[in-house]
Amino acid sequence: MTKKISVFKKKQRWDNISGYLFLSPALIAFVIFIAIPIIMTLVLPLFNYNLILPAEFVGLDNFKDFFADEDMAIVFGNTSKFLLILTPMHCILGLILAYMVQRVKHTALRNIFRGVIYFPSIVTTASVAIAFTYMFSTDSGFINYYLRQLGLNNVPWLTDSNMVYVTIAIFSFWKFIGTTFLYYFIGLNNIPESYYESARIDGAGPVQIFTRITVPLVTPVIFFVVIITTIGVFQIFNEPYFITNGGPGVSTTTVALKIYRVAFQQNNIGYGATVALGLFILIMMVTVIQYLMQNKWVVYDYE
Amino acid sequence: MNKSKKIFSGMWHNALLILLAVMMLLPFTWIFSTSLRLPKDSFKFPPNFLPTSFHFENYTTVFQTFPFLNFIFNSLFVGIVAGIFNIIVTTMAAFAFARIRFKGRGPLFVIFLAGLMIPMQATIIPTFIIMSKVKLVGTLWALIIPAMITPLSIFLVRQFMMTIPKSYEEAAYMDGANRFLIYLKIILPMSKSVIIMTSLINFLFNWNNFMGPLIYLSDWEKMTIPIGLRMLQGYQGTGSISVIFAGVFMSIVPALLLYLFGQKYLVKGAAISGLKS
Repeated sequence: MTKKISVFKKKQRWDNISGYLFLSPALIAFVIFIAIPIIMTLVLPLFNYNLILPAEFVGLDNFKDFFADEDMAIVFGNTSKFLLILTPMHCILGLILAYMVQRVKHTALRNIFRGVIYFPSIVTTASVAIAFTYMFSTDSGFINYYLRQLGLNNVPWLTDSNMVYVTIAIFSFWKFIGTTFLYYFIGLNNIPESYYESARIDGAGPVQIFTRITVPLVTPVIFFVVIITTIGVFQIFNEPYFITNGGPGVSTTTVALKIYRVAFQQNNIGYGATVALGLFILIMMVTVIQYLMQNKWVVYDYE
Repeated sequence: MNKSKKIFSGMWHNALLILLAVMMLLPFTWIFSTSLRLPKDSFKFPPNFLPTSFHFENYTTVFQTFPFLNFIFNSLFVGIVAGIFNIIVTTMAAFAFARIRFKGRGPLFVIFLAGLMIPMQATIIPTFIIMSKVKLVGTLWALIIPAMITPLSIFLVRQFMMTIPKSYEEAAYMDGANRFLIYLKIILPMSKSVIIMTSLINFLFNWNNFMGPLIYLSDWEKMTIPIGLRMLQGYQGTGSISVIFAGVFMSIVPALLLYLFGQKYLVKGAAISGLKS
C-alpha cells in the first residue's frame, strides 16, 4: 500500500517536472512577448519617453492629455463606427452566404463557391488594398466609369468623409467575408439533414427554415464569430492606412492608426501606450459584456 | 411548392451566387491583366478584365528598379523561420496541456487562452522597446522572434491532441519509451494535419503582416513584400500602375499556391476552433 502511494507520488512529481519542461519555451515566450508587454502597457502611460532620452515620470499627465484631446473622441468614435458597420455586416452576411452555399445541391459547384468566397481572405491585405484605391478612384476608377455609363454622377468614394465608410465596408466584405463564412459553413454542416426534411414536410419555406431552424441551431458559432470579428475590427489598421490614409481629415483615422502615428511617427511612446491601454480596456469591456450576455441567446445543447 | 417553381427558385439561388463569385474574382483578373498592359493602356475605358496584351517587361521592371527579389526572400525567410520556431514552441506546449497532468495546468491554460484576446496594438509598443534594447530593430529577427508564440495555434493543436486515444502512448510506455520519444514519435506524426493547418495560418499571417514591418524595418534590402509594395506605390506614383500591379500580383501568387495545396487543412482548422469555442 505504502509502496503504491510512493509510486504514485513519484509519477506525480515526474509529471510536474516534464509538464513544465515541455511548456518552458512557450512559457518564456509568453512572459517576454505577452505578459511583460501587458504590464509595460499599464506602466508606460505614467512616463514621457521617446526611445532616446531616459524616460521621465509624469504621473497622470498622459491621461489628462488623453481626456482633453479632441482627436481622441473622434478616433475612438471612428473605430466605434467601423465596429457598428463591419461587425453586423460580417456576422449576418457571412451566415446568409454560408446558408445559401450550403443549400447548393451540386457538390462541385458548392466547393467552387466556397473556394472563391474564401480566397480573398488569405491574400495580402496591403496589396489588394492598393488595387482597390485604383478601382474606386473618383475620375480614373472603373467603378465610377460604370456608374457614369448608367447615367449617374461620379461618387467620391475616397474623398467624402461618409462615403469612405461605404468604400471600406465594400472592401472589408470582399476581403474578409470568407473568414466568417467558413466558420458558419462548417457549423451548418453539423446540423442533421433530418431537421430540414421534417421542416420541409411541415411546409416551411427557405426563409422560414433559415430563421426557425438554422439560426437557433448555430448560436454558439454566431457567438464565436461575433467575438472574433469584434476583436478584429477593434484593431482595424490596414484598410484606413492604404485606402484613405485616415482621411479625409481624420474621418477614418482609427485607434490603431492613431497609436502608430503617436508612438512610432511622433516617437511619443508614453502617450501612444496611453491610447493602446484605452483600446485594450475597451476590448476587454466589450468582450466581457458579450460573454455575460451569451446565456440570454446562445444555446449550446439542444438535446 | 410545385416542381417547376422549385427548379426556378434553385436557379435564382445559383445565379445570385455565380454573380457574387464572379464579382469577387474580377479584382484578381483585373490586377493580373493590368499588370501585363502598357502603363498608358491601364486606364482605358471600358476596362478589360481579361489580358489584352502580354508585356512581361512590367515584371522585369519591378525586379530592376526595386530589390524585389530581396523582398521575396525576406518574406519567405520570416515566414519559414518563424514558422519552424512556432511549430516547436506550439507543439511542445500543446503536448504538455493535452497529455501531461501537471500542477497548475488548468489556470495556466486559461492564462494562455486570454492571450487570444489581447490586441496586437496593446503589445506592439512594449515589444518594440524590448526589441530596441536587444538591438534587433531594423532586422528581420524583430519580426521572427515575437511570432514564435501564437496562443491560437497552441489552442488548436491542444484541442486536436486531446482527441488522440490514451492507449497509443500507454503501449509505448510499456515498451519503455520516455515522454520525449512519445511526443516525437507518436503524438507529432499523428497531429500532422493540425500542425500543417496552424503553420499555414501562421505563414499567411507573417506573409501578409504589414504593421510589424512598417514599424521595424527601414532598409530597402531588409523589407518584406507588403511594405516593399507600399514603397513601390509611393515611388512609381499613378503613372505606372502596371508595374505596381505586377508587384501586387506576385504577392498574391504564394497565397494562391498555398491555398490550392492547403484548403482542406484550413477548413479542418476552422472546424476545430469554431466548434469547441
